[in-house]
Amino acid sequence: MNHHFRHLLSISTIVATALTASAGFSAAFAQSKETLTFAGVTFSEAGRGDRLKAWVEKFNKSQDKIEVQPVALPFATLANTVFTQMGGGGGPDLVRFDQIDFHAAVAANRILPFDGEIDEGEYKFTAPDKYMHVGGKRYGIAFEISNYVLLYNKTLLKGGKPPATFDEFLTAAKAATGNGIYGYAYRATMAERPGFWQDLCNFVYGFGGRWSDDAGNLTINSPKVVEGVAAYKKVYDLGVIPKGTDASTYRRMFWENKLAMEIDNGGVAGIFHQQAPDLPFAAAPSPFPTPAQGLILAPLTVNANTKHKDAAFTFVKWALQPENQKDLQDLLGASNVATAVERSPEIVAKQPWLTAYDAQTPNSVPQLVAGFEIKTPEIQQVILEQVLKVLQGGADPQKAMDDAQKMVQSRVLRK
Amino acid sequence: MRSTFNWGHGLRLLAIVSLLAAAAFPIYWMLVTSLTPSADLFADTPHMLPDFSRIEVFEEVFREIPVATWLANSAIVATGTMVLSIALAILPAYTLSRFRFRGKGALGFTLFVTQMLPEAMLVVPLYAIFGQLALLDTLTGLILANTAFTVPVITWILKGAIDGVPIDVEEAARIDGCSRIDIVLSVVIPLVAPTLAAAGVIAFFHGWNEYVFAQTLVSSQSLQTASVGLAGFVGELSTPVHSVMAVGLIYTLPAVALYLVAQRYVVAGMTAGSVKG
Repeated sequence: MNHHFRHLLSISTIVATALTASAGFSAAFAQSKETLTFAGVTFSEAGRGDRLKAWVEKFNKSQDKIEVQPVALPFATLANTVFTQMGGGGGPDLVRFDQIDFHAAVAANRILPFDGEIDEGEYKFTAPDKYMHVGGKRYGIAFEISNYVLLYNKTLLKGGKPPATFDEFLTAAKAATGNGIYGYAYRATMAERPGFWQDLCNFVYGFGGRWSDDAGNLTINSPKVVEGVAAYKKVYDLGVIPKGTDASTYRRMFWENKLAMEIDNGGVAGIFHQQAPDLPFAAAPSPFPTPAQGLILAPLTVNANTKHKDAAFTFVKWALQPENQKDLQDLLGASNVATAVERSPEIVAKQPWLTAYDAQTPNSVPQLVAGFEIKTPEIQQVILEQVLKVLQGGADPQKAMDDAQKMVQSRVLRK
Repeated sequence: MRSTFNWGHGLRLLAIVSLLAAAAFPIYWMLVTSLTPSADLFADTPHMLPDFSRIEVFEEVFREIPVATWLANSAIVATGTMVLSIALAILPAYTLSRFRFRGKGALGFTLFVTQMLPEAMLVVPLYAIFGQLALLDTLTGLILANTAFTVPVITWILKGAIDGVPIDVEEAARIDGCSRIDIVLSVVIPLVAPTLAAAGVIAFFHGWNEYVFAQTLVSSQSLQTASVGLAGFVGELSTPVHSVMAVGLIYTLPAVALYLVAQRYVVAGMTAGSVKG
């Protein structure tokens, strides 16, 4: 018995040593190329992820001395993970941030300015490129620019036509709801805070509201913002949305002909087109009084901790080449990229919904609180908490937004 | 004629079956969902029975997703954590149980304090230290990080079990010429084997399920563990429900199998030392 256990212990120790040693050496194999990591949520998406990896592989094949390894991180934890790694002195060399995290990264000096690394005159950047500059310096290039429009299922709407006004939209959503089909879907839970904010921005912007004015004053309780919040509540109470359903699920419902309408970005439309070619969907401007809608702007940035700065900028410059920009735009679906890329007539003919997205570009507004970009996450938290009181607690939209304005002033801006 | 049916026994049986069904239902539902056609996932009336004609879903995930690599990495991390935790916890547990020394109480308390700090708080300094030691992006680093969390718990579990071993047994071994280390290896460890098994299962499950360290300390796709791989399915724009459920089920099975194999020891180990005399 004793001998048996001594034997067992010896074996265990050997196994532990072997496991740890082999595990340690497995990643440390000799590499002839300078290897960089590139983190982004897109790598883990169905359809787009594999195409994006292939795009990166195209870069790798074009290089003798540099290799970029994609790192797929879940959407919900990308910012936390990357900021944790950056705080520890490491992290991926290249990061595809969301705009809200981009500003936080700039403020914390976590990403490198592009000073002199790219010749700005060499490229024909798209309009949202202006948002890549902070304090007069460029900190990234737009990796993906995506607008929001109304996506609708032609077979689930009466006459197959999209609503043009908000009242028509409410009527159409009500008419489409029933027999396991929902008229519309959006996010309204703190479990999906970033998405909830995106959807709310679309309503508020669509009703003409903004979170701040040009002079840098908060306008959270302005009449137009309150109108947008009241409209959000109207849809919530209409009995047309699958309450509590997360975006991944309701997008799948749309894909499966169980959802008539949703306002979503071009990446989603691209996924529908690639993954569900028979889905009878189309796109139209969102049915609000004004054409303004949110804008997804995901910058490609270089980590300030990188030990491969030159190689990272080699990749950035490669990404900006016209042919590579075109490939990137094609694989991203209805999104745009850093530089202006004409869509071919063949592609537009095959994907007519692209027109609605491209036409939306002049009316797209970043989902940030202008003038308070770094504080946006905290302001967002306060506003969404108040909107939840309207949605779930029946609070008056005007009072809720008045409270939000006061709380942001005192808690976030300390005024 | 008197009825022989025992109502008390019947109700107990019913309660046990109900509890078992409630516990097993999530696993069953994962199986049903993974085998349900996409269009039916959102049907008004959900499918309650699995459609085994779609069993190829499981083959597909192995073919299209590096599930085997994820599971192998998880197995290496979990087994490494288990073995290293036990190896490192035995002597401190014996020391806390058998020796009297100044600061013994404080040492024991300090071990507990380490459990009060969440992983999320420690991950930044750990990342910086591992960076200096070239342990980032290695499974060795993950094993060490997990072991740091499990050793205090296992030390206390083993201490409780060693407390229950009569000191007379050790004294007899010493009279027979055993050194202290021989006593630990040849006398104490065999007597606390069931507790050792229980502690091993706890350490294994910690290493198997751990997410925060695995996500932060490792970046190479080839070294990803299953917990991170599974979370990666939840995309910004879409989530492949079938794949999540199929891989989730596959991910659950090895841990369940280990528990079934070890449960006899685990139950014995959990109750070891509960009655001393």
